[in-house]
Amino acid sequence: MVIDKIIGTAKKEGRPYLTELESKQILKEAGINTTEVKLARTKEEAISLSKEIGFPVVLKIVSPDVLHKSDAGGVKLSLKNEKDVGKAFDEIISSIKKHEPTANIQGVSVQHMARPGTEVIIGMSKDPQFGPVLMFGLGGILVEVLKDVSFRIVPLTRRDAREMIREIKGYPILEGYRGQDPANIEVLEETLLKVSDFVENRPEIKELDINPIFAYRDGALAVDARVILEP
Amino acid sequence: MKDITEKLDRAFNPRSVAVVGDKMEMGYMWLRGLANFHGRVYSVQIDENELPGIEALGVKNYFSLLDIPDDVDYVIVAVPRGAAPKIVNDCIQKRVGGVMLFTSGFAETNTEEGIRLQGIITEMAREADLNLIGPNCVGIFNPKIGLRNALDQYSGDGGNVGFISQSGTHATFFSLVGEVNGIRVSKSVSYGNAVVLDSADYLEYLGEDEDTKIIGLYIEGVKKGRQFFSSLREIAKRKPVLIWKGGETAEGTRATASHTASLAESPLIWDALIRQCGAIKVDSLDETIDVIKALLYAKPATGARVGLCAMTGGQSVVITDAFAKEGLEVPLLTDRSYREFATFFNTIGSSYRNPLDISSNLRSTDNIIRCIDILSEDEMIDTVVLELSMVFLTRLSWLIPNLFDSLIDALTLYKARSNKPFITILIPAHAESETIEARKILVQRDIPSFPSFERGAKALKKVVEYYRHQNL
Repeated sequence: MVIDKIIGTAKKEGRPYLTELESKQILKEAGINTTEVKLARTKEEAISLSKEIGFPVVLKIVSPDVLHKSDAGGVKLSLKNEKDVGKAFDEIISSIKKHEPTANIQGVSVQHMARPGTEVIIGMSKDPQFGPVLMFGLGGILVEVLKDVSFRIVPLTRRDAREMIREIKGYPILEGYRGQDPANIEVLEETLLKVSDFVENRPEIKELDINPIFAYRDGALAVDARVILEP
Repeated sequence: MKDITEKLDRAFNPRSVAVVGDKMEMGYMWLRGLANFHGRVYSVQIDENELPGIEALGVKNYFSLLDIPDDVDYVIVAVPRGAAPKIVNDCIQKRVGGVMLFTSGFAETNTEEGIRLQGIITEMAREADLNLIGPNCVGIFNPKIGLRNALDQYSGDGGNVGFISQSGTHATFFSLVGEVNGIRVSKSVSYGNAVVLDSADYLEYLGEDEDTKIIGLYIEGVKKGRQFFSSLREIAKRKPVLIWKGGETAEGTRATASHTASLAESPLIWDALIRQCGAIKVDSLDETIDVIKALLYAKPATGARVGLCAMTGGQSVVITDAFAKEGLEVPLLTDRSYREFATFFNTIGSSYRNPLDISSNLRSTDNIIRCIDILSEDEMIDTVVLELSMVFLTRLSWLIPNLFDSLIDALTLYKARSNKPFITILIPAHAESETIEARKILVQRDIPSFPSFERGAKALKKVVEYYRHQNL
């Protein structure tokens, strides 16, 4: 299976952190809707992949050594044409070389720029006593500043998924506050259940972060993801 | 989970008990505690100086557990920690049903010697599959057979509430405070450092125990976390389970480490776990008692709407705030109810919107009962709450002798005929001794009472949440 192969490769290379590309492949295997990501090793490849995927696109650095991609100048959003993509590719590579001179650069990932939705996050971490625990919250400032999140211990029942979404204080935002588009709650519940199922059967995963997921009226899309393996 | 019943049956329902190391210095508390035990009691003590004291209690002493010419189901060990490995080894040889180590001074001291000794007894017990309870605990209380862990505990009639406690004090306090509140223990266990048997094992045992209808737990930390989670999830579907978690703050965690060598655990995860399993979270002994009392003595409260009946105007305001602050609803009544009140209710100095202030109507037991009957029959109301203030009832008793007694009789009849949950708030104010007497009478009549509006409101809220979770 793809997952075994990805985990096997990372283990062989002695790195606990999976790249965004690998993390998203894993999510896809787990049945979670994610943006299609392709790896470009050269500028030319990045341009042709962008045309294939369709503009606007996002370019991100792919390197197991760069953990905070944005901080290192490794992310370029809203690239509308070939010229933008070419320029962004060069800028990313030179910025990473400057910020993280020793980083092993595998290339640059190309993905379609997802249409904006309500940002939510789903995370899994392991509690020393109770094992895998899922976290749910609204993305961005609400999770970082207000810690408006809920927890459940794996495995989740449908009821757990339903309750942990409704438990956060920001829930009215998901229902569509003041004319904002509502989120499809059922799809978010499904996503939580899929993550629960997946991590229950994959003890080799230590941490998983899907941040953000864009929640739409008609679905949900994992836009960024990070997986950390057990040592 | 049936296996756990078989595994722990001899320990919880022993027919013979041996006490190792009881002595004068401890007032022979363990042997004296077994005075009403329905079975055979033996002492094991090697100190010749202690023998007259032990014999004076009418207990036969042996120099070794292995010398006792009888099966031993349960062993109470109160020896110094250095002797613990030898006694544990004797228990294994003797094939006892369970052993409780009152002995402390193990990992909770965070000393090399304590950790080393704990390691030795743990390994021995695990290898031999010995039911080791503790160490650093007071073990099992089974009142029905007179197995006690404190001298002031009752024996004889057992109750229907099980209690599992990492602390000996909380286990014994639960039994004692519970008793005066009408809550009797079926079986309880204090289990200290939990080196072999952990909360999950006891929870499974009481989950299967037919005498136990409600289970309370005081926990500082779990060792078998996954087992605890899955057992709690299953058992809480069948029986109400209350969890009181000690060490919820960073400072408290420091205390749990030196008390029972428990590790820090995230309060957020505990909250999630308790909610996820449909258990009830409580934060103190008082709250544990309050919620169990409401579960035992009020009809199942599934709705959040309360009809409040206070004895004076000022109390009618604060009782309303207390219940509303807990998220309970205090709705207006139906027109039908208001029309009925209008036929008899003295509104000079009183009012009946909801809350009710019945100060001017207190002199007639019939009128008090009429008020709560109307609340019971009102479709807007789920639970009826009545304030009983000994201050006012005592003042009025000069005017109307036997007012309290006739009110209690009438409330007993009311409770029997009403189909709605009913609780009372018995506020002591300065009339503390009168209130204690009144509570005793209410307990005898199975009428639940709470010592403040806030405690009554909180208990009711927890119970409503519990039944809602069960019914969803």
